[in-house]
Amino acid sequence: MKRLRIGLLMPVMLLVAACAQPPTEKLAAAEKAVADAKAAGAQAYLAEDFTKLEGMLASAKKEITEQDAKFALLRDYGKSEQLLASVSGDAGRVTTETAKKKEEAKAAATQAQQGAQEAVKTAQGLVAKAPAGKDRAALQAIKADAEGLTASLAEIQKALDGGDYQGAQAKAKAIQDKAQSIGNEVQTAMAKMQKGKSAKKK
Amino acid sequence: MTKSFSMRIVFLLIMGGLSLFACVQKAPPDLLQAVEELDRRLVEAEGARYAPTEFGRFAQHWVGVKGRILAEEDVIRWPWESNSLAMELRAVQAEGQHVLEAAARKKEAERQEASTRVALLERRLETFSSRIDRIGSRVVLGQRPVETELALRQARSYIEQGLFSRSSHVVQQASRLMEDQKALLHTKLGRYADERSVAYWRGLVARTINWSRTHHAVALVINKADRRLTIYRNGRPAGVFPVKLGFNGILEKRYQGDGATPEGQYRIIRKRDRGQTQFYRAFVLDYPNDEDRRRFQAARRTGAMPAETYIGGQIEIHGEDQIPMNQTLGCIMLSNRHIDKVFDLVETGTPVTIIGALEAKNSVSMALASLEDGDDDRLDGAGQPR
Repeated sequence: MKRLRIGLLMPVMLLVAACAQPPTEKLAAAEKAVADAKAAGAQAYLAEDFTKLEGMLASAKKEITEQDAKFALLRDYGKSEQLLASVSGDAGRVTTETAKKKEEAKAAATQAQQGAQEAVKTAQGLVAKAPAGKDRAALQAIKADAEGLTASLAEIQKALDGGDYQGAQAKAKAIQDKAQSIGNEVQTAMAKMQKGKSAKKK
Repeated sequence: MTKSFSMRIVFLLIMGGLSLFACVQKAPPDLLQAVEELDRRLVEAEGARYAPTEFGRFAQHWVGVKGRILAEEDVIRWPWESNSLAMELRAVQAEGQHVLEAAARKKEAERQEASTRVALLERRLETFSSRIDRIGSRVVLGQRPVETELALRQARSYIEQGLFSRSSHVVQQASRLMEDQKALLHTKLGRYADERSVAYWRGLVARTINWSRTHHAVALVINKADRRLTIYRNGRPAGVFPVKLGFNGILEKRYQGDGATPEGQYRIIRKRDRGQTQFYRAFVLDYPNDEDRRRFQAARRTGAMPAETYIGGQIEIHGEDQIPMNQTLGCIMLSNRHIDKVFDLVETGTPVTIIGALEAKNSVSMALASLEDGDDDRLDGAGQPR
């Protein structure tokens, strides 16, 4: 009788042992690794790689759900485990690279800020020297534009302080381009007036 | 013995021959490299974002094959066995290529949509600017136009960086800034479209004409929206001349240096002939009059005007400067030929009435209305394509 019970229990125990368990810990580790990458700024500074990480994590989760839905004996979490291992490994690399990219973006934004500051200063100088010419309204508009650019410089600093280096760079580039365009406009007007004066002397 | 030895030799020879052809199952290096390259390109193309389902399948497959490559490093493949790793790699490659194409298509579509959004708003801004320039109200907007332009330049910059959603966000900001400009113009210039204001101005003109009729004298009426000076003699129009106003002339004068041209009923207090003015010939008006002073003081009291501002003065109807100007600092400018025609007709005490407009449908009110009508119908108020 005892032997019979053991004989019946053994296959059941073997079945239970044979059932695959979902990779809960590996999933948690991969999710943490992706969250760390996100916190490091990967979404902004290494967007493509971060998207891939998210895509792979989503794929692993989907695979786990699909396996969970199967009959216990037929479950196989091998694929999802491989994906999760890949996500965890890549996420570490992405986090490290993000820090590097962020530093590069910061340096580029700071440089762009300096470029914008110099361009605005040059434009302000030219606007101050700009002759009234015949179009006072145009001069007033240019003065207002130059003042607007000066005021906008503070937004670059704000973006830098907030760690938005891409935003700071884009803003700085926009300001620099516009300042240069104002400078060119004033210089052209000045040259035109100079030409007019020379023609009158003749 | 000899036979058995021979058999062994034959067996060894067969086995040796076979081992020459048998090999470790390996993924073809060039194929492996091609899939790895494809994987990198998929990262750049943001495959996971633009084709998430297809990318998920590819990623699963690719990770599985990579696992197999590592696990089957020492598995022997016999010549009659096909290289299943190579086959799987080819399948992964085909799958990846498909994802790449799908992602590239969607990314390009998103880039084009973002570019279109910026281009449409740029066009809207261009039309908007040309319309406000036409009525000389650019100065009214102060720094707002440059703020809008900066936002649009920023949006372009984001597109260049492939940051389409950020670009879209900034386009919305730019669109809102444009709406703010419109709102400001309506606040500052809305009186040109306001029936009550126009009725008030009409009343001023009627009184001036009546005065001219009853006093058998000359009176001047300046219509700012039409940029026209009409001379009335005995209550009848005796001449109409084009005028130029201050650089912010469309506004009502509030303080010194604002470039606005005053509105109200004035009188000529002095005539300046050749040699007495830099502007050929001129009539000095009694600006500021009592009404102007009262309004200025009230604005100061309520804090609507900074304490360091002054009311200004020396508002004239004058001729041209040596350099021909498009606008004045707030005065009314006639051409020298036209001021010659008016000069001898007016005298000290001649009334001068300056109004915004005589009709509710005037150049300013129509320009304001066109700011609404002129919007590109492919964009909504938030800068989004309809």
